[in-house]
Amino acid sequence: MSDAVSLWGIISAIGILTGLGVGFGALLGAVSERFKGDAHPLVDQIDALLPQTQCGQCGYPGCRPYAEAINEGDALNKCPPGGDATIQALADLLGREAEPLDGDAPEENRVAFIREAECIGCTKCIQACPVDAIIGAAKQMHTVIEDECTGCDLCVDPCPVDCIDMRPRSAPLTQWQPVMPFTASVITSDRSPAGGN
Amino acid sequence: MALTFDYQGGIYPPERKSRSSQASLQYAPLPARVTLPLRQHSGRPATACVTPGQHVQVGTLIARRDGLISADVHASISGTVTQVSEHAIQIESDNLDTRQPLAPLDWRETDALTLLARLDESGVVGLGGAGFPTQVKARVIERHAIDTLIINAAECEPYITADDITLQRYPGEVLEGAQLMASLCGAGQIVIGIEDNKPEAIAALKQAITQSRPAPITLGVIPIRYPSGSEKLLIKTLLNRTVPSLGLPADVGVLCHNPGTLLAALQAVRDGQPLVQRVVTLTGEAISRPGNYWVRLGTPIDELLAYAGLERSRLDKVVQGGPMMGSTLETLSAPATKTTNCLIAATQSELPPAPPASPCIRCGACENVCPVQLLPQQLHWYARAQEDDKLERYHLFDCIECGACSYVCPSHIPLVDDYREAKSRLRHQRIEAAKADHAKHRFEFRQARLAREEAEKQARRHARQAQNRPGAASSTEATAAPQADLRSLRIAQTAAKAAVRKAEKVLAREAQQAPNESHEDLEMQLATARENLKAADLQLAQARQSASAPEESP
Ligand code: SF4
Ligand code: SF4
Ligand code: SF4
Ligand code: SF4
Repeated sequence: MSDAVSLWGIISAIGILTGLGVGFGALLGAVSERFKGDAHPLVDQIDALLPQTQCGQCGYPGCRPYAEAINEGDALNKCPPGGDATIQALADLLGREAEPLDGDAPEENRVAFIREAECIGCTKCIQACPVDAIIGAAKQMHTVIEDECTGCDLCVDPCPVDCIDMRPRSAPLTQWQPVMPFTASVITSDRSPAGGN
Repeated sequence: MALTFDYQGGIYPPERKSRSSQASLQYAPLPARVTLPLRQHSGRPATACVTPGQHVQVGTLIARRDGLISADVHASISGTVTQVSEHAIQIESDNLDTRQPLAPLDWRETDALTLLARLDESGVVGLGGAGFPTQVKARVIERHAIDTLIINAAECEPYITADDITLQRYPGEVLEGAQLMASLCGAGQIVIGIEDNKPEAIAALKQAITQSRPAPITLGVIPIRYPSGSEKLLIKTLLNRTVPSLGLPADVGVLCHNPGTLLAALQAVRDGQPLVQRVVTLTGEAISRPGNYWVRLGTPIDELLAYAGLERSRLDKVVQGGPMMGSTLETLSAPATKTTNCLIAATQSELPPAPPASPCIRCGACENVCPVQLLPQQLHWYARAQEDDKLERYHLFDCIECGACSYVCPSHIPLVDDYREAKSRLRHQRIEAAKADHAKHRFEFRQARLAREEAEKQARRHARQAQNRPGAASSTEATAAPQADLRSLRIAQTAAKAAVRKAEKVLAREAQQAPNESHEDLEMQLATARENLKAADLQLAQARQSASAPEESP
């Protein structure tokens, strides 16, 4: 008797649990369908961390393709303009190990400058610029819109008369940043005597 | 006003106001040369509109405002422009002091737009220290309803007495200026916030209030405490309204103006006099004739101090602004500007240099005095460790940089310096992030444009081929134009259409919310979506054609 009861109990328990599982599964499915996010939320997040210089030094035609490649498992350390900060941020986001940069980090923020007297108006640089930062027309002198230039270097090589230089970007005075000498110890603990650094 | 509300925190540094408040207001002598920086206000620097050699009079426009938040600069003496550099304009005096005023206006008879234009072309900015353009502040009613105008006469920082003296000397005119600004922004009442250590100014105001029309004025005398003159704290004290974190006084229906600003606004309207001079407190133990002076903008600071009797042997440093929030000047040849409210020529014993900082002992003294209830020691820790997300979470940007925490810190940690550094770093990061975003959108636009051009080229080639060799074109193409391909192109086209609609909606909403701002970035995104749509349209049309072509051709 007790056996039959317990058997019945087991069957009903399995039935209820299966029902619950199916029910909640359907609910979850419906909710995830209803509140579906963007197609590639992770790629978007990765893309947001890349510097958007669009220089192609990572081996991909722009930052977004590299973001997609990272999402598929490519290494994090291929973006020189981003440098170590970007690698660290990517590692934090993806829970992966940060690796040292593959390549040389650019030493400063730069911007392209066309020596206008020498420009022959060939439009080769316009075709190379990933962000349309160069204006000019065929056989007309060309010039770079400084605010739009990302400093990616891509226009330098195509120029047949070598009239494009990369120059340091002049920062406006309002964006000046103070340089602070910081001491190592910030909070005194009983292990380090107060006043000692 | 009987009722004042309390806030927590605050400190009581020695006032040291009596030296400068005893002398009456005087005029500093006309300088032989002035240097007028193009950026004497918050926002973008003005653009010079004079050339060297040009003759100017007092009030001649010499630099125009550039962009929305910026202010005009006017010649403060008559004479010849000698130098126009990237940052400043120099004028050599002809000692005639001839004036070029604007037409006087009666504000009660003039419409608001004309008054705003007048404030704009007079270069009036907040004279309390921040230098925010007054006309921009008055325009806040385009987005917020204002019911109260506060005259911020608390002047809680030690040493400074410029507002005190201005009120003693020109009480009626300050109130008239307040009525003018109140009517401009639609405020129904005016409240004066003043600390109880200014009995003469309070008496003068009491008398002037009885004659001031039309808005009712209440006098709120508050007990002295630093930093009760901070806008948000004053609003809390006088009206018991709390300005939200990262918000503006306008969010709770209030505008604050400093007495000097109100006087300047009235003079700009009533007398047609642009902002060419201001009241500056000259004080400190290293000068023998401390007091308040009307100073022409651009006067070299060493000339001013010399006139007030500077003893160079006793001078240790000159602080511009108050001792709490001001900064030590690197060079005395700098000029007095629209935001110079006080110059302290201090001796070594008066404002001794801070002893070297030692590590934080977690005593909590800073927390007790912080008037906005932040946790200064946590902020200090995170600022040095550059833990940026924590800084935001602990409301770094609500810090008013009052310096109360540094003042009480027993370890002499320059806490405010840390916060300033961290704030500027975070702001810089935001600018960089916005720039990267912008570059990304431009890149996407270019990709879309290239795709559209490619699709157009394809379409043209296709048409040409179809014309030249009818029937042959389709057979060279993938003859079995797969239906699946057509279907995916249709889906792509629908998605592109949806993207255009979405971009249009976002742009329309933003344009409605902030009609005065540039929406270049959103416009770019819309253009990108349109290019994508065009490309999708072309591809679809072409695919349809080649799909139908085989059926037609025998
Ligand atoms: S290397 Fe250049 S293109 Fe590649 S992610 Fe970095 S900035 Fe973008
Ligand atoms: S102008 Fe030259 S360096 Fe600047 S973004 Fe364009 S291609 Fe790159
Ligand atoms: S400086 Fe900032 S953190 Fe320090 S007491 Fe003032 S508001 Fe608080
Ligand atoms: S007052 Fe100074 S020592 Fe005390 S907790 Fe604050 S930062 Fe640390």
